[in-house]
Amino acid sequence: MITQNITTSLINFIPEIILFTMSMVILLIGTSKSLKKYVFHFTVLSVVLAFIASVIYFPNNSLLLFNSSIIKNNITEFFKYICYFIFFIQIVVSKEYLNRKKLISGEFYSLLIFALLGCFIIISANNLIVLFLGIELSSLSLYSLIALNRSSFLSSEAAIKYFVLSIIASAIILFGFSYLYGITSTINILDIATFSSDREISNLYLFSYVLIFIGVAFKFAVAPFHMWLPDVYEGALLPITNFIASIPKIAFFVFAYRFLDENPIINNDNFSKLILSLGIFSIFIGNLFALAQKKIMRMLAYSGVANAGFIFLALFSATEYNFSIAAFYVASYAITAVSAISIITFMSSKNFDVVYIYDLKGMSSRSGYIAVLLMITLLSTAGIPLTIGFYAKYLVLDALVGSGLISVAVIVVLMTVVGLYYYLRVIWFMFFESGCNSLVNTNGRFSLFVLSLIPLSILLIFLFPDSIFSYIFKILA
Amino acid sequence: MTINILSLLIWTPIISGLLILFYNKKVNILNAYNIFINFIVFLLSVFLLISFNENLSDFQFVENIKWIPSLNIHYYLGVDAISTLLILLNTIIFLIVSIYNSTLSLKKTNQYYASFLIANGLTIGVFCALDAILFYIFFEALLIPMFLIIGIWGGSNRIYASIKFFIYTFLGSVLLLVSFLYINSSISSFNVTSFYDANFSLVEQEWLFIAMAIAFAIKIPMFPFHTWLPDAHVEAPTSGSVVLAAILLKVGAYGFIRFVLPVVPLGAMSLDIYFIILSLIAIVYVGIIAITQNDMKKLIAYSSISHMGFVTLGFFIIFQLFDNTSSKEDLVISLSGSMYQIISHGFISAALFICVGSIYDRYKTKKISDLSGLLNQMPVYSWYFVFFALANCGLPGTSSFVGELLIIMSAFKASFTYAFLASGTLIISAVYSLWLVKRVIYGEVKINLDENLDANTIEKFLLLTLALIVLILGIYPDYIMSFMNTTLQHITENIIIKL
Repeated sequence: MITQNITTSLINFIPEIILFTMSMVILLIGTSKSLKKYVFHFTVLSVVLAFIASVIYFPNNSLLLFNSSIIKNNITEFFKYICYFIFFIQIVVSKEYLNRKKLISGEFYSLLIFALLGCFIIISANNLIVLFLGIELSSLSLYSLIALNRSSFLSSEAAIKYFVLSIIASAIILFGFSYLYGITSTINILDIATFSSDREISNLYLFSYVLIFIGVAFKFAVAPFHMWLPDVYEGALLPITNFIASIPKIAFFVFAYRFLDENPIINNDNFSKLILSLGIFSIFIGNLFALAQKKIMRMLAYSGVANAGFIFLALFSATEYNFSIAAFYVASYAITAVSAISIITFMSSKNFDVVYIYDLKGMSSRSGYIAVLLMITLLSTAGIPLTIGFYAKYLVLDALVGSGLISVAVIVVLMTVVGLYYYLRVIWFMFFESGCNSLVNTNGRFSLFVLSLIPLSILLIFLFPDSIFSYIFKILA
Repeated sequence: MTINILSLLIWTPIISGLLILFYNKKVNILNAYNIFINFIVFLLSVFLLISFNENLSDFQFVENIKWIPSLNIHYYLGVDAISTLLILLNTIIFLIVSIYNSTLSLKKTNQYYASFLIANGLTIGVFCALDAILFYIFFEALLIPMFLIIGIWGGSNRIYASIKFFIYTFLGSVLLLVSFLYINSSISSFNVTSFYDANFSLVEQEWLFIAMAIAFAIKIPMFPFHTWLPDAHVEAPTSGSVVLAAILLKVGAYGFIRFVLPVVPLGAMSLDIYFIILSLIAIVYVGIIAITQNDMKKLIAYSSISHMGFVTLGFFIIFQLFDNTSSKEDLVISLSGSMYQIISHGFISAALFICVGSIYDRYKTKKISDLSGLLNQMPVYSWYFVFFALANCGLPGTSSFVGELLIIMSAFKASFTYAFLASGTLIISAVYSLWLVKRVIYGEVKINLDENLDANTIEKFLLLTLALIVLILGIYPDYIMSFMNTTLQHITENIIIKL
């Protein structure tokens, strides 16, 4: 770890600076009548520019910027690249949909970029205060984004729920931070780890960690802290749900990693039991509740709860292995969730909102290609072979079996069998039911091309996964 | 340069299946393409059979590439005599199905053919994968095309049947995955041959046995895990039923002989009595259920379960034989009986489903009570129907007689009770087969259709081929028996060494 002076810090922070400046520019353009139609193009441009900048300034070794409050290394960059990819797909696919809803505006896109920026700051923060600022930046932008669809009653409900619960979660995290600062008298997260490595873990220290991870559980929507998720998925506009389902999950995974890595708390029995039981409980609740859902977004929300449970199990397994399993799980889940929601966004972009699962009736006869894309995505979420979701579940199971928790592994796989049913239900509506809904959109060559990127990579990575595994294992070793 | 024949066998149909998805114009071209690819795969498997050296007990045509080194998963293929025969059975059945399919008019023809081609490749993959995870991947992936075949082209209650089929089998296979992971965690290898060398304590073996046996018992299926099969058969289109009965059930049996018996023989030995009882229940009780069915496909489905009971009986009786005599030859005989039964049932059930499917195409009903006097309207068909019904009940001279005879002989060596119960069903299977013939083929004509209903040339050709295979296997079993002998000896040694 090399601490950098202010000039190098600023240079290495250029991608974030670009995002920040561009979001301001987009806000300005949005107010001008003649330039308003270009906000979308500017958004794409800013993401591409920031991505290019972060490729150019890829760090060769770990850097500590701004007086060690920001960390930049290949781990942070890896997750940021995934975020760029996901974000690019989201904005490209959602353009038609937003056009229909008449929501293409400067404030929409600038808030979206702010949320992305907040997540980037969470990913690279090495300082409790900066970290909290990142959390708040992304959360505040998301509150307003959810509420943006003013005409919808469901959106307002979702916004209020997300706002209140998310504020509580932030407060709990902050409460945990204050204890942590009180015990260790430092706000530098790396120093917190070194502080506790040569000391016995006090109850207060454990308590602060429990508070912080309850906050994380809120953000991941791990049961029993998942209550906001289905309503937000249902109420928020699809592009925003798409964002909430993926990028914050990645950010909060890095958050969890930052707090657990090389910290002896991870070997603490009580703490790891908490993580394990939250994970199992979440898998139960998510899978069982998803069975009863008729609306596709609520079903995906509960499937997200179940997957968050898996992420917690993967974090638990980091006690004996490392975080690579959890990292792979988070990345593969985020990508598949984005694919599923993007396909639904695409289908809803003309005349008609896909709300219920039976709205997808007979999709295969209307557009077999889209139906196959959605099928691949759902099978990946269910963890069936031929998709990367299989490896994700496989690694978690392998870690559980390897650490001797075979009963947990058996319970978990039995719950995935339960979970298979609701994914299959979507497939059966698309392929087996006859009669089709002609209002569902199937046109748009470019969007279709972008949509196929993720399912294709799901299949390709299944066939040739080794380079990705060895890269993740290397950076997180 | 060496030709990787196993990879060719697996990937030719899969890739051609994916290609066919992009063409959906002329049905004739699709038919020709489909038959051509299946024929190529069939020729490859014949080539495999010819160049296989049956005197070696090791795996042959081995391909071993490090696929995912970081997870210790290999792309490890290889065949022994059992897998070679099953691959040949597979390619013959798929060739027959592809020819049969060309007589049908279907919706989404290209997708239908693609599903079958992909299923063909994946099944070959199941039979030659020697890495446990690779096996699991093929095993699971095979569900997807079958799920789509039943769900898209099936009968009126197809959704229920396909979901039940998928979830039931998935339930078994996740347990299989956990047991593979457990074995890997103690020997750090997914290689089948190192599975054979691994030594586990009795308790471990029992749990591993339960987990793996449930997975394959669902697939075979054994009583009481059989309830998905009648539904799946009734709802599946004819060609789907053929593949299901002739190939997919055999995947379960293959799993037993490849992964359960040689890997955890102690566990199998301590719990074998339960599986023998379940096999006998399948033979007797499910046979009685078959008598009462009014749907021809359901009747054949139950008869399949009953016949698969013989296979599992042959597998598990070996531990009783080991207790009684300790002679290796007896064990080998029992296992060869089971293997013979597997192959024979593959052809007979395929033929019966093709017969029933053709009757359904003409009369639009599968109900036995709706049909009568078919002999008057379709004499050639009726002849074949009677022949395969007789073969199904184990008539000497047909292939099923050989397998059942060997299994019953072994059962006599183990215990009189088992043998008595098992041979009792020869009567039961005669009852349901012959009564089916009596009601459907003979009697007064109920539905009078004026057109010429008899088998067309293609159907005659297919049924004749199947009938010849059944007869040849029944009259001259020695070729297959001696072909399998070395491999089965080797497997038996692997089992005995650990007991």
